[in-house]
Amino acid sequence: MNLIIRQSKICDPQSAFHNKTCDVLVSDGIIKKISEKISDKADQEIDGKNCMLAPGFFDLHVNFREPGFEYKEDIQSGCNAAAAGGFTGVLQMPSTFPVIQSRAGVELVRNRTVALPVDLEVAGALSSDLVGKDLTEMYDMHKSGALCFTDDKKAVQDAGLMMRALLYTKNFNGLIMSFPNDRSISGKGQMNEGVVSTQLGLKGIPAIAEELMIARDLKLCEYTDSKIHFSTISTSGAVDLIRKAKAAGLKVTCDVAAHHLLLNDSCLEEFDSRFKVKPPLRTESDITALKNGLKDGTIDAICSDHSPEDIENKQKEFDHAAFGAEGLETAFSAAYTSLKDILTPEQLFEKFSSGPRKIISLPSIRIAEGEKANFTLVDLSDQWTVSESDIRSKSKNNPFIGKKLSGKVKAVVNKGLYNIS
Amino acid sequence: MSSLSSKHLLGIKGLSVEDIELIFSTADNFKDVLNRPMKKVPSLRDVTVANLFFENSTRTRLSFELAERRLSADVVNFAASSSSVTKGETLIDTVNNILAMKVDIIVMRHPNAGAALFLSRHVNASIVNAGDGAHEHPTQALLDAYSIREKHGEVKGKKVVIVGDILHSRVALSNIFCLQKLGAEVMVCGPTTLMPKYISSLGVKVEHDLHKALEWCDVANMLRIQLERQDIKYFPSLREYMMLYGLDKSLLNSLSKKITVMHPGPINRGVEITSDVADSDQSIILQQVENGVAIRMAVLYLLAGKVS
Repeated sequence: MNLIIRQSKICDPQSAFHNKTCDVLVSDGIIKKISEKISDKADQEIDGKNCMLAPGFFDLHVNFREPGFEYKEDIQSGCNAAAAGGFTGVLQMPSTFPVIQSRAGVELVRNRTVALPVDLEVAGALSSDLVGKDLTEMYDMHKSGALCFTDDKKAVQDAGLMMRALLYTKNFNGLIMSFPNDRSISGKGQMNEGVVSTQLGLKGIPAIAEELMIARDLKLCEYTDSKIHFSTISTSGAVDLIRKAKAAGLKVTCDVAAHHLLLNDSCLEEFDSRFKVKPPLRTESDITALKNGLKDGTIDAICSDHSPEDIENKQKEFDHAAFGAEGLETAFSAAYTSLKDILTPEQLFEKFSSGPRKIISLPSIRIAEGEKANFTLVDLSDQWTVSESDIRSKSKNNPFIGKKLSGKVKAVVNKGLYNIS
Repeated sequence: MSSLSSKHLLGIKGLSVEDIELIFSTADNFKDVLNRPMKKVPSLRDVTVANLFFENSTRTRLSFELAERRLSADVVNFAASSSSVTKGETLIDTVNNILAMKVDIIVMRHPNAGAALFLSRHVNASIVNAGDGAHEHPTQALLDAYSIREKHGEVKGKKVVIVGDILHSRVALSNIFCLQKLGAEVMVCGPTTLMPKYISSLGVKVEHDLHKALEWCDVANMLRIQLERQDIKYFPSLREYMMLYGLDKSLLNSLSKKITVMHPGPINRGVEITSDVADSDQSIILQQVENGVAIRMAVLYLLAGKVS
């Protein structure tokens, strides 16, 4: 298959064509030619006028619900949502049923082929059944392709277990991801502890539940001389702790979920469970701190924390509604809307592409002749109001429905395939 | 003005001062009715009210039921323990099933904050919130403010301290909103573990010394300690709670002025207050109960106007 993307501006600092407006010819999944004007005809042409062509986005945190909860999301529908949101690769969390905690589980997901331009990578569970007691067979999973290990939102409570996981994976250069949450403090909390939770009479999740866990894990990281990645940090104190740890030379990275850059806890004033997420939406000053953390490099990547939930799990009394927001289709636009005056497009693309890939040791992507074609086409000037019909996931619990966002993904190309949003 | 600004009573937050004054003046009329030999009026004839209690309650339910019957409404009661809730039916389905039997007003108590608002968004009936989690309990706050008005002439300018478990208390939150709307000053007093960290953002004073709090106030509203609502221990023992936050006669007598003592009931005698305080002439606990029926009659009467 031949494909030409016409007249988009290439945004890839590694490329000789950086900041140039070009035609790009892709043939059988390889970039054959980049030139100001390509006169050949192709099977498919995409108009890239006013658009930027960036290395394909990668999402470090998606929950496709296969196996176990396919009615919320299966791999096919999840990859479809990813492609619509500009992601050419995603990291699937192990929180399925059964949990992805063995070579069999990893291979089940990795061997699943979908005819979509999205690479599906897997994180294995850190502890058996995610209950935080015994280590899983991480080496075996690593050999079969699991890129990192995490108990996802269950969060490892036992410091000794976290220490052993950090030590054990060091052997084969495995990566531990930690979602920082001290459950003895967050307890049955439903939202950020603050002025809004006080007015609503909802149990609060204090920022310190996140920050204490980061402080603990940083100490363990230092002690074991291992590397650690923090998933979806959300508080100003978390940014400070990680900034200091990086300055002290610890091997630490972190990401933030796109919705935490744009939404604060006042969204919950009407008890709308679409805004019930974990970690909870915080305050405006936390958002400012997260933006600063992205700017100064403390935060390495932006993810969607895509957590599809069906209506039965969301349309409930607030305490009973599930945590989580669907977000692949809107993650980039939400982040751009929040950060357009803070980061250059180049810096923003880095948080979506080379940033996350580097964390899990995937090669970075170049837009150059002879390279694999793996890129995302984005129109930053486009403004759009998100509607339910924009959501390709099986679940519709997207917090941005009805909201106006800036910047829109137009297409992705990867694996010799393309998808137009 | 003769009607409320909303077809529901979800919380004090959504009421205007005019709404509250209208409820009070309507309650004045019903209070006269309650003191007549014929205590019943025909105002809610042909209106059906369902009392849905997803959480245990004796007195609030009884108070609502009496209010409904004295307005000549048809009344059905639904308690969660004897219901389909245990069979996994959702709240919306449960309520829509009841509404299909032609019910006009739903009075609901529910253990989760926001449940009344949630229901009002998904079903087509007037909803009266009879307590939702630790969020609001509007009729309790209305009857408390009404009782203060009755005792002290007006609420404006009065100093009211709310004592006890502020963290888990919908009575505290609704009282704060209501008293502030009516121009009272509010202080909260209780153990630090039962005090929301951001409570002062609501514009209340915070005091942890009961004696100081009582010296400051005109009215003390002593909340019930609801151990059943606490999933973990917030203080070591009731004995120690009583030592720090229990109101007994000697403490009451040591104050430089005579304060009014309130309690939303049911009282744990010897915990929040001792018997001699509860039964003293400074206590208006039984007046609160009496006023509860009048306030609930007023609320139902005003909402029924919106139904038909």
